[in-house]
Amino acid sequence: MTTDTAQFDYSEAGFPIAERIRECHLRDWERLRGPGAWWTGAERVAIARQTRLAEDCALCRERAAALSPAAVAGEHEADALLPRAAVEAIHKLVTDKSRLSEAWYEGVVGAAGMSEERYIELLGVLVHVFAVDELHRALDLPLEPLPTPLGGTPSGYRPAGAAKDVSWPPILLPEHADPGDLDIYEEMRGRRPANVVSALSLVPDNVRWLNDQFAAHYLSWTEMGEIDKQHRRLTRPQLELLATRVSALNECFY
Amino acid sequence: MGLLGASSRGNEALNYGAIVDPSQASGVEHGSLLMEFTEAAVRRGGDLAEVRGRLAEAIGAAAVVDAASTMANFQRMVRIADGTGIPVDSYILERSGAAPERLGLTAYRSAANTFAAG
Repeated sequence: MTTDTAQFDYSEAGFPIAERIRECHLRDWERLRGPGAWWTGAERVAIARQTRLAEDCALCRERAAALSPAAVAGEHEADALLPRAAVEAIHKLVTDKSRLSEAWYEGVVGAAGMSEERYIELLGVLVHVFAVDELHRALDLPLEPLPTPLGGTPSGYRPAGAAKDVSWPPILLPEHADPGDLDIYEEMRGRRPANVVSALSLVPDNVRWLNDQFAAHYLSWTEMGEIDKQHRRLTRPQLELLATRVSALNECFY
Repeated sequence: MGLLGASSRGNEALNYGAIVDPSQASGVEHGSLLMEFTEAAVRRGGDLAEVRGRLAEAIGAAAVVDAASTMANFQRMVRIADGTGIPVDSYILERSGAAPERLGLTAYRSAANTFAAG
């Protein structure tokens, strides 16, 4: 089921969900349904649909529980809009991300219908939709229907200054960015951006999306630097305890 | 690991050992309940509704929303980190000292992204 007009109606949620979060989720759905740099709107919504399917995927559960995921044979059902490698990557990123490797990444971006740019945009779509859904699941709210895709052609934009640095995919650092992309690091105020921010920068719109949703769900980068101020109902130590516990549960070293 | 101890400067009461061993006291107000909620949400625990109810009683419904949105935020961040193979930023690694090894975080498979990068 898709919808032309996202509601994110939290009036019956039973929890006072801040308006900044609702407004962000409405923007999330607008971003999701339009064409990106490397995928059409319909393909982006298909990525979101697969992200949701992975959540209840029996094959993924079996693989995640196995000593080696390769020991469990099988393939996910094909998606008419996405390359097979994209479907496999989405399921892996949702359900078994702690066992990813550079060799796995190289295999995905080298597969038919994929590229470094397409992988990074796919990851950007996946993580932002997943975060919206995670908030809903945590509060026992129904998932918002996915939006009806918009038409249009992907821009094919790859920043000229993007280059291999510390992550598997190339990234765009501020010193190599064209003026039109400098806004993605505006809040870093001349400092090198955190690796987790630049990681998505091969597709600069990913970073714009990240900055927006990060500020709504957690804190803006500026607020993060204001250690002694309390910006949410939870204190900073409470927020950081939650955040680091999520990382530990996911066995994520970063 | 990036946030490890970021807010604990000057606050020796905080114990980040609790993030890997919730039986330890974190020194954070309502820390045990917040971690129970986080674990139930991340692991799809059948007790999520019950834990969420206790958390709401303890800290109020609006703060539960903060907890849920923070959990969701970092469910996103771990997938960005693991999906791109990034190392921990050098300034964070320096600030963390021996904590990652002491907490057993260096045993995580994704730690290789940091230490292989030198």
